[in-house]
Amino acid sequence: MMDLAALRAEAELLARSLPGLNLKARAADAAHLGAAGRKRAGTGEQFWQYRHYADEDAAQRVDWRKSARGDELFVRETELETARTVLFWCDQSGSFNWTGQASRITKADAARIAMLAAGLLLSKAGERIGVLGSGRPASFGRAAGERLAEDLKQSSSANFPAPPRSQAIFVIASDFYDPIESWRDRLANLAARSKEGILIAVSDPLEEDFPWRGRTRFSRPGAQLFRIFGRAETVRDEYLTRFDQHFAALEQLAASFGWQLVRHSTGNHLLKLGADLKAALETFGARL
Amino acid sequence: MMLGPFLFGAPLALIGLIALPVIWYILRATPPAPKEADLPSLRLLDDYTAQEEEPARTPWWILLLRLVAAAAAIIGLSQPVYAPGASPASESSGPVLVVLDNGWTSAARWSEMRTVAASALDGEARNTPAHLLLTAPRTLNVDPAERLSKTELPQRVNSLDPVSWDVDRANALERLDASGLQPGRIFWITDGLTPDTAIPFARDLAARAPLSIYAAPPRGPVAITGLSSDAEGASVELTRAALASDATYFVSALTLDGAAIGTAQAAFTEGNATALAGFDIPAAALARVARFQITGADGAGAVWLWDSSARSRRVGLVSGDATAQPLLSDMHYVRKALEPFASITEGDIVDLIAANPDAIIMTDIGRLSPDVEADVAAWVEKGGALIRFAGPRMAAQSDSLVPTPLRRSSRAIGGALTWEEPQSIGSFPDGSPFAGLSAPEDLKIRQQVLARPDPELANRTWARLTDGSPLVTAAPRGQGMLVLFHVTAGPDWSDVSYSGLFVEMLRRAIAAGRGEAVADAEGTYSPDIVLNGYGRLVSPDSSATPVAAADFADITPSEANPPGLYRGPAGTRAINAGDGATIRLMTDWPASARLLGDAEARSLRLGGPLLGLAGLLLAIDLIVALAIAGRLPLPGRASQAVIGVLALASLGVIAAPSADAQQPYRPSPYGYGISPGYGADINVKGEIDKATEAALDMRLAYIPTGDASVDRATLAGLRGLSLMLYRRTSVEPAEPHEVNPETDALDVYPVIFIGLSDAAAPLSADAVRRLNDYLRNGGALFIDTRRGGDAASTNNFADLERVLSGLDTPPLEPVPTDHVLTRSFYLLDGFPGRYENRRLWIESSGIGEKTERRGDGVSRLIIGDADYLAAWAVDERGRPIYSVDGGDEQREMARRFGINLIMYVLTGNYKEDQVHIPALLERLGQGDEGEDDFNIDDIPRIQDGGPQ
Repeated sequence: MMDLAALRAEAELLARSLPGLNLKARAADAAHLGAAGRKRAGTGEQFWQYRHYADEDAAQRVDWRKSARGDELFVRETELETARTVLFWCDQSGSFNWTGQASRITKADAARIAMLAAGLLLSKAGERIGVLGSGRPASFGRAAGERLAEDLKQSSSANFPAPPRSQAIFVIASDFYDPIESWRDRLANLAARSKEGILIAVSDPLEEDFPWRGRTRFSRPGAQLFRIFGRAETVRDEYLTRFDQHFAALEQLAASFGWQLVRHSTGNHLLKLGADLKAALETFGARL
Repeated sequence: MMLGPFLFGAPLALIGLIALPVIWYILRATPPAPKEADLPSLRLLDDYTAQEEEPARTPWWILLLRLVAAAAAIIGLSQPVYAPGASPASESSGPVLVVLDNGWTSAARWSEMRTVAASALDGEARNTPAHLLLTAPRTLNVDPAERLSKTELPQRVNSLDPVSWDVDRANALERLDASGLQPGRIFWITDGLTPDTAIPFARDLAARAPLSIYAAPPRGPVAITGLSSDAEGASVELTRAALASDATYFVSALTLDGAAIGTAQAAFTEGNATALAGFDIPAAALARVARFQITGADGAGAVWLWDSSARSRRVGLVSGDATAQPLLSDMHYVRKALEPFASITEGDIVDLIAANPDAIIMTDIGRLSPDVEADVAAWVEKGGALIRFAGPRMAAQSDSLVPTPLRRSSRAIGGALTWEEPQSIGSFPDGSPFAGLSAPEDLKIRQQVLARPDPELANRTWARLTDGSPLVTAAPRGQGMLVLFHVTAGPDWSDVSYSGLFVEMLRRAIAAGRGEAVADAEGTYSPDIVLNGYGRLVSPDSSATPVAAADFADITPSEANPPGLYRGPAGTRAINAGDGATIRLMTDWPASARLLGDAEARSLRLGGPLLGLAGLLLAIDLIVALAIAGRLPLPGRASQAVIGVLALASLGVIAAPSADAQQPYRPSPYGYGISPGYGADINVKGEIDKATEAALDMRLAYIPTGDASVDRATLAGLRGLSLMLYRRTSVEPAEPHEVNPETDALDVYPVIFIGLSDAAAPLSADAVRRLNDYLRNGGALFIDTRRGGDAASTNNFADLERVLSGLDTPPLEPVPTDHVLTRSFYLLDGFPGRYENRRLWIESSGIGEKTERRGDGVSRLIIGDADYLAAWAVDERGRPIYSVDGGDEQREMARRFGINLIMYVLTGNYKEDQVHIPALLERLGQGDEGEDDFNIDDIPRIQDGGPQ
């Protein structure tokens, strides 16, 4: 597992190579008022502009102090200030903290880097970020990125965390090898809370290829179980079929919640995961 | 049980072979160990049952490997013996007597003989006992009456080693008689040598019981039986037993610690029993040879220890002049020339004669006192070689111990007042020991003592100059020899001592005495290191006893006197096993004896090797199993890189010194290029001693007084002074040294400080003598009595007389105002220390002839009492420690004085030349304003068109 500084450095590198992330504010009108200006008129506290009174404006909106100086009526507009809360969660299990080859980064690290990069971009754009189940409230600004990095590494929730009280966008990273039913149970509470969520499924090339031959004793990292297959090559076809079916089912699950599924293989470049994640985050505004 | 040529000790174990098919079946059914793999997505296969779980077959060759291992183990456990000669029919009627020759000649074939002896009971009835008789005598012999069972015999025999002395068969027969044993059969395992004792022994044995003889095959031993050495090398005589074929052996000359100096080849031709190995080793290296050894041959006879008596001659040196400068003395050349070849003693002539050396060398001693002369004459007549060198004293007067009468003067050849050129060496007469040496043409003899013309002179001359006058003469006196070199041993009169010819001439001259030295009949030699039966050097055990010197000549090696080196009053002496041995094969065996040939008697125990094979196969199987399971760390990329790095590093280590060696000498920009060592980086590794340290870096030194606080102040003062020098001048001294004038080398320090305490203990006479030597040879001594006082009080140096009594003190005077000490670096008015206005005393320069003044009139003794050292003293952070009368200003002045002092010590009167600077400047036309006669306007102008 990478240490905090390396994680942060990788994430910033990734964030720099992604263009800025801006959740469409319209989608977020109903969410919290926050500090981040949206560079347009809307609900907020900061002055944005005066404009001429139009017929559809309510009379209360006329800014009498300004209008009194001349013959025309002016309306005082404030800048739209919105922020959304994005909550991340990363699987901490041993099987996720695993890589098939020492030179590759682990699946969990890939997920963390991508999530942290997305978090950094989001917080720069004024969104509030946090980690699901970490106990700390979501926040924005510089400190939020650091807090996110710490919490992503530290949150050692054996169980899937309970949903937060407020509304948020959830980003859930895991390998999702547990049966689909158990994932449906876990995610149902979150999905009830928010229509916006992303599942990041990271897998290792070894898991996708199943390259073993001959007599092989398989064991699951983090679990004491093992199975011996006399001829691993005979299992391969069955395995690949099940692998594809599993992820098809997972995608269906995500779609049923209205969520996005982002798949990533650690054999590919991290930039791809970053870009996919960004694309997924940016779709939320458009869907409303 | 017997099965063909195989005997089985535990035949029931063979039943285990039945188990082999079972093992085969089980092995077939067991799958190989699986590979290991981690797979998080194994969860996906949770409810999947594999269609085909049948294990892969174990490869047939692993099966074979394991079966062979099992079979080898089973057969090995049944204790098979391969004994083609054994026949169960010939069981004997009584106990079997095993007679074993275990002398040094057996060592070469000891393992064979031991195997044969161990199998002596094979084929006998189960409860037939064996008895053992060893023919080489020891104090605690194996009792032939001791019964050994069939299992005990091999154990006992395998624990035996050959001894390093010879067999004594008559003694063995006596022991057999004494034991009263009546053997039913006798089995004699012999080395087959020394027929004169072996034939009667065999007859005697054959008369007692049926006799079988196993004579080891005629690959006889080879031994060093003699050695002769001369100045040019050594030759070693080898003797062998088997004459049938040509054979070549190599003999190594080894030093005491086992390093081989040289190797020579000894080739035996067919039918010859002896061969010579000639070593062409320079005499200097020959002196380091401690033993000769036949490479690859075992046994005490294959080693020849070389004692010190045969190697180097003992030479005594007596010098006529006692000089304080040892590198310039005549004796230095003689010592350097002889050191590699002779053991040198120096001292009084009376003591030397008492030690009875082979030769005594005297340089320039004119006349010995009459009683000493008589002693020397008596020693020469008993066989000593007296070698004398001429010199001014001998030219003045000589005694009777010269080979030819001398004239009462020396002849100077060449030089300002003579017409002759310096002569070179002309010839060595044929009868002279120097004949055959070649003299370089450019060796010149400038002065010599002349022999009076004498009819015998021509016979007594060993070397001549080109004009025929003798250079070296010699005459026998009694059994000894008188040799006279008509020149000095040093380079004063001739160039001879510079040349290699000198070394050769001296070597041959010291051999002119009685030659073979030590004839001391006194004292005993105790064993220092001895040879064991295999020819290894071991420390002697308790049974080895000292030998009287007189008995050495006719000693035979035995347990009490094993071959080895014995240390005694005159060095070491050796007893060698093979010394003078005759090695002959026995051919005439008694007719009644049953001779066992080579093949017949051999039996081979197969149990051990078979079990070993089984173990080896199992180990291979384990490795194969690991490799199949993928757990064997194959040389991956990382480890290859590590191996590569290691290889490169080792290459680098090998290459590094050669790179250093190839670096050309580059003179330092500050060096004058006088000698190649000057200015080159000195590369010192490891611990170096104090003198070397002081010689490598310039540093100040002080003599401790024993008072800890004063010594601390002195050290701190020198540190402070060193720091100031380092900061302000190009003198960069290293950490000061504390020196003990009695033991340390003083001449590596430019100046030595003494800070006297009130209660300083007087220096010993030895220390003062060495200090005097130091001062005479250019050292400087700064003495600070630390008394102080005001301007009116005079200096009180009473302590000085007490502490340094005997110091060679010249007349002293206060430093004159224009003395170079006032301007050697800074311009100074006075020499303040911690106290102000104290006078500083130096050697008086006005007294005595200029030539007698030491060191160009530079004072080598500087004495003051203003506690200078305390004024200079700083702590480790560079802060002054002691207060000073006049505050910081005076401290600065004191430091300036210190710098001037060191400059004065280091540069001498160099700065004094600066007094001429005004005159020089004037002469260069720069000093117009002076009132001297020279005026630049007086120079006639040349009309060159320049400005008028």
